[in-house]
Amino acid sequence: MSTTLFLVSMVIITALFFDFTNGFHDSANAMATSVATGALQPKVAVLIAAILNVAGAFLSTEVAKTISGGIVNDAVVTPTMIFAGLVGAILWNLMTWLLGLPSSSSHALFGGLIGAVLIGAGASGVNFSVVVSKILLPAVVAPVVAALAAGAATYFLYVMITRADKEPQAGWFRHGQTVSASMVALAHGTSDGQKTMGVITLVLITAGYQDSGTAPQFWVIASAGLAIGLGTYSGGWRIMRTMGKGIVDVQAPQGFAAETTSAAAILASSHMGFGLSTTQVCSGSIIGSGVGKKLAHVRWNTARKILYGWLLTLPAAALVGAAAAAIALTGTIGLIVVFAALLAGAGAIYAISQRAPVSSENVNDSADVTINPARASVSV
Amino acid sequence: MNIDWASLVLVAITTVVAAIAIVGIFSLGVASLTSGGERESGGSLVQNPPSPGAKFAGYACVGISGLLVLYGLYLIIPQFH
Repeated sequence: MSTTLFLVSMVIITALFFDFTNGFHDSANAMATSVATGALQPKVAVLIAAILNVAGAFLSTEVAKTISGGIVNDAVVTPTMIFAGLVGAILWNLMTWLLGLPSSSSHALFGGLIGAVLIGAGASGVNFSVVVSKILLPAVVAPVVAALAAGAATYFLYVMITRADKEPQAGWFRHGQTVSASMVALAHGTSDGQKTMGVITLVLITAGYQDSGTAPQFWVIASAGLAIGLGTYSGGWRIMRTMGKGIVDVQAPQGFAAETTSAAAILASSHMGFGLSTTQVCSGSIIGSGVGKKLAHVRWNTARKILYGWLLTLPAAALVGAAAAAIALTGTIGLIVVFAALLAGAGAIYAISQRAPVSSENVNDSADVTINPARASVSV
Repeated sequence: MNIDWASLVLVAITTVVAAIAIVGIFSLGVASLTSGGERESGGSLVQNPPSPGAKFAGYACVGISGLLVLYGLYLIIPQFH
């Protein structure tokens, strides 16, 4: 096996691994409220989300032409830097999953890439003004706008129907919620599914295995779709619990208002040229649905932890990406060392999660995601 | 620094207006369809059917919500445009 082929294979495997973490991280965006209100059985909810994610991945025709949308200078990016960036993104995604925190997978990927490019090509490889305009500003706007919209929608809903939490009204809202949540899942598939396809295709082009400007090959579309679908189906129950129960104990009308707002925000942002993170939109909507309902209890403590997670996403993924790049850029041995470290890190995080596992069985049993069952002081 | 403030404001306003409108229309439908109230029958609560007018208005609102879902699908699926 030639060195190039080996490197390309490593990047593709890592990209698919990232796609998988992206799926289970974002499963909660669409389905957390439906699971919490009992609109859908947990297993059914993630199955629907997974199918719609795969369908979305196949539907999307416009594959990312740049890896990062100009955040890093794509001309200086090598497959090894992409590999290191993916490692940073995966480890941060797993870490936030362990803590049960919803955080943006795209921001983790950008952070990892920024760190890798800083090490591999220096500060000139990163466009810091684009970091501000495409990551920092939207990260402030997304939750605020979503919370405002969902808050107003929830408020008017309860003004119109004072007994919306009771049957048969709640039944209608559960159906409405299922439809809105499905829209979020499909929209997510068309946007995030193609991100990994774009990364793999660009690596294939860089390495000379594919002609520049050609569409992704079928196996790339199929494997990326499958990876994100499997990730979604596996559920990410820790994050599901935080979003469905941890921020607000969501009732069916609130879930309907939150998911409808999220769908509207995602569609507006993707069609009007101001990209917003799905995760941040959905978290904001859920907070809004709590604020908009009189006497509803918003756990600001949990909301604050999520905010800290968002602030840390970029620098933390960048730090890991930079360390991975520093080692991987030394050569094939370095590459293997980083890959082994990735597997070890992922395995360790999974092992820790098993001390207090969250599954489809117990996702609604508590509002907190615990790491160490013996000591409640480290619960998140 | 190139920040597209116009798009930002447009996205923000669209989100707020669309969310309130869609949730409002569907809620109006639910309110109409459940406007009959409930009565007690044999110790349990039973829903009264809504008046024909309220029933029509309710299904019209739910129908409009359905059309909005179709519009959303149109926006999501790139093959349509």
